[in-house]
Amino acid sequence: MIEIRLHGRGGQGAVTASRIIATAAYEEGQYSQAIPMYGTERRGAPLTAFVRLDNQRVRERMLVHEPDISIVLDPLIAKQQAVVDSLKAGGLVLLNTAQSPEEVKLGGDFKVATVDATTIALETLGRPITNTAILGAFVKITGAMKLESIEKAIKKYFPGRLGDMNIAAVRRSYAEVKGPIQAVVTDAPQEKADLNVGGYGVLKDVSSWRVFTPEIDVGKCIGCKSCWIFCPETAIQWDEAKKKPYIEYSKCKGCGVCANECPVKAIEMVRVEV
Amino acid sequence: MSYEVMVGNKAAATACKLARVQVASAFPITPQTTITQYLSEMHANAEWDFDFVNVEGELSSQVVVQGASRVGARTFTCTSGPGLLYMHHPMQTTGSGRLPVVMAVVHRGYKGMQPDHSDLMSQEWTGWGHWYVEHAQEVLDSILMAYKVAEDPRIRIPIAVGYDGYVLSYTAEPVEIPDQALVDEWLPPNKAIPEVLPDKVNPATFGRGWGGERDPQVPWKEHHDAILRIEDVHKEVMDSFEKTFGRRYGNGMIETYKMEDADVAIMAMGTIAGTCKAAVDRMQANGKKVGLIKLRSYLPFPNKDLLEWGKKLDGIAVVDRSICPGKGGPSFQKLRDTLYELNDKERPKMLQFHAGLGGKEVRVRDFEMIGDKALKAAKGEKVEQVTWV
Repeated sequence: MIEIRLHGRGGQGAVTASRIIATAAYEEGQYSQAIPMYGTERRGAPLTAFVRLDNQRVRERMLVHEPDISIVLDPLIAKQQAVVDSLKAGGLVLLNTAQSPEEVKLGGDFKVATVDATTIALETLGRPITNTAILGAFVKITGAMKLESIEKAIKKYFPGRLGDMNIAAVRRSYAEVKGPIQAVVTDAPQEKADLNVGGYGVLKDVSSWRVFTPEIDVGKCIGCKSCWIFCPETAIQWDEAKKKPYIEYSKCKGCGVCANECPVKAIEMVRVEV
Repeated sequence: MSYEVMVGNKAAATACKLARVQVASAFPITPQTTITQYLSEMHANAEWDFDFVNVEGELSSQVVVQGASRVGARTFTCTSGPGLLYMHHPMQTTGSGRLPVVMAVVHRGYKGMQPDHSDLMSQEWTGWGHWYVEHAQEVLDSILMAYKVAEDPRIRIPIAVGYDGYVLSYTAEPVEIPDQALVDEWLPPNKAIPEVLPDKVNPATFGRGWGGERDPQVPWKEHHDAILRIEDVHKEVMDSFEKTFGRRYGNGMIETYKMEDADVAIMAMGTIAGTCKAAVDRMQANGKKVGLIKLRSYLPFPNKDLLEWGKKLDGIAVVDRSICPGKGGPSFQKLRDTLYELNDKERPKMLQFHAGLGGKEVRVRDFEMIGDKALKAAKGEKVEQVTWV
C-alpha cells in the first residue's frame, strides 16, 4: 500500500488533488481512498488530505499517520518542518517552491523534489490554485501512475476548457520538476507547527497563511475607514492620531478584502517572496 | 456496470436514483448535507422522475415521506445526529404505520460534530430496522437491499441505514454502479397496501389509531414480530443480491472476516470494522487466532448467528461506538442478553470496549490491543471487563 499526505490551504484544491489521484489510480486497476481532514475547513486555512493506493479494497478507515509521500501545495507551508513529520524513513516529499531541492532546509532521512507550482498555476490558470500544477511533478517523480490517467481523471473533475488549462499545468509541472535528491540537511530541526485547521484568525498568528500581502500607501489613503470596517479578521487597526489605518500582520490571512474595498486603490496585494 | 470514485454521500444519492425513489425529502445537516445537495442536483437535471420536497426541518421531512409512503410511493430521507433526534416523534409513527421508508443516517454524535453511533442508537425504540455499514460500496448496495427488505409484504418496516460521518460520508473511494436495467428487474416498484389507504367508503383511521374492539397490545406485538421476521428476509435478500450483482456482505445480519480458525472474535460495527479487518490480518500473520464479526443489523439483533458463534468461541470483545450513559454499550448488552441462553461451559468470555466516541479515531493498533486483551481473557487471565480505548 502507498500512503500519501497532502498539505495545502483551503482553496488550493488539496482535497480535489487527493480525489484526482484516487480516480487516476482506479483507472489503472488499483484500489484507492481519498480522505479529507475533517474540521472547519475554509479558504486560506492550512489543511491536510490523505490518499491510500492498494491492490485490494482499502479497509483501513483512519487518517494516514506514517505517509510514504508528502505533497505540499503551498510555498509557505513547504518551509515548515511539519510537512515531513512522521514521513516513513526513505520517504519522499514534493514541495511547491521556487527553490531547487539542494536549497531546501527541511531535514531528515527522505528524498526531496521541488516544482514552482504557484508560478505554473498563475501562468496557466491565472490563479494560485496549485492542485493540478503539482500533480504532473507527482507522476514524474513517483511513477505511481501514468500521466494519461491523471489527465483522464482531471477531465472528470474539470470538463471543457478548464480541464484543458489544468492539463496544461500538469504537463508543465511534469516537465519542470527538479529532483528527487536525498535531503541535504540530515538533522530534523525541532520546530513544531500545527498544519491542520483550528481556531479563528483572531485567536492565533495566521501570517503564514498568506499568498498575497496587503500594503497600504498612506499617501493615497483618504482615511475613509472602509478597510477597517470590512476586514473580517480585525487585522486593520486605526491610528487615531494620524487618522490612518495600519495592518497588524499576524492577524492578516491575505484575503484581499481591504484592497477590494478601498475606494482610492491605496492598498495593493503583493505576492509574498518565497 | 460503471464505476465512479465517489464519496459515501454520493453513493447514497446514487442508490436513490437506481432505486427510482419517487419522493425524497430532507433537511441539510452536516455531515449529511451533500446527500441533499446531490439529490437536488439530480432533480434539477431531471435524471429521473421524482419529487424532491424542501422542508424547514427534519420533523417535516419524516412526515413528508411518511405521507408519500402511505399511498405507495418509494421514499427516501436522510439526516444526522441532532436532526435525527428532532425526527424522533414522526419516526415512531412511520414505524407504527408499517411504512417502508428508507433513511440514510450519516452518524454524528451529539457531544460535538464528529461521528459516533449515539444518534441512531438513541432511536432504537422507534420501531425501525437499524443497519450499520462500512464503506461507500456497502452504502449503495445496502440502500438497495433496504428497499427490498422494507417493502417485502412479510415485513413492511422502515429501515435506517447508518454510516459514519466524515470518514465515510466525505471520503472518496471507487464504487461500482450496477446497471439500471438489472436494478429495475431486481427491485420492482413498491406497491401500496390497500388496507392502509384512506377509504371513503369504509371510514377508518391509520397509523396510531387502531379503534374497534381489539386488544390495544396487538399493534405492538405485530410490530415487534414484523421486525423479528427481518432476520430471515434479510438473508434471502442478500442471497438474491449476490446472485444478481455479484457482491455480498456476510449473511446480511453479520459479516464475518477470517473467523474459520479463530478462538476469539472482535465484534464491531460501521467504518471501524474495516480498520479491524486490517488488524485481523496482522494478528493472524503473527499466529493470533482473532477474527472479526461485523454486526450489520443491530435491530433486529442477529440472535441465531451469535448463539452459534458463541458456542464455538472462547471470547468475544465487543467494541461499541456509542454508549447509553449510566447503562453502557448497547451491542455489548444485547450480546450478553443473547448469550445468556448458553450454559456456563459454552458461554464465551465477553469484554466491553468503548471506542470511537465523539469521533475519536480508532486505529489498527487499537484493535490489536483489543485482540490481545480478548485472547488473554479467553485463556482465563484477569483483564478489565470494561476498557475505554
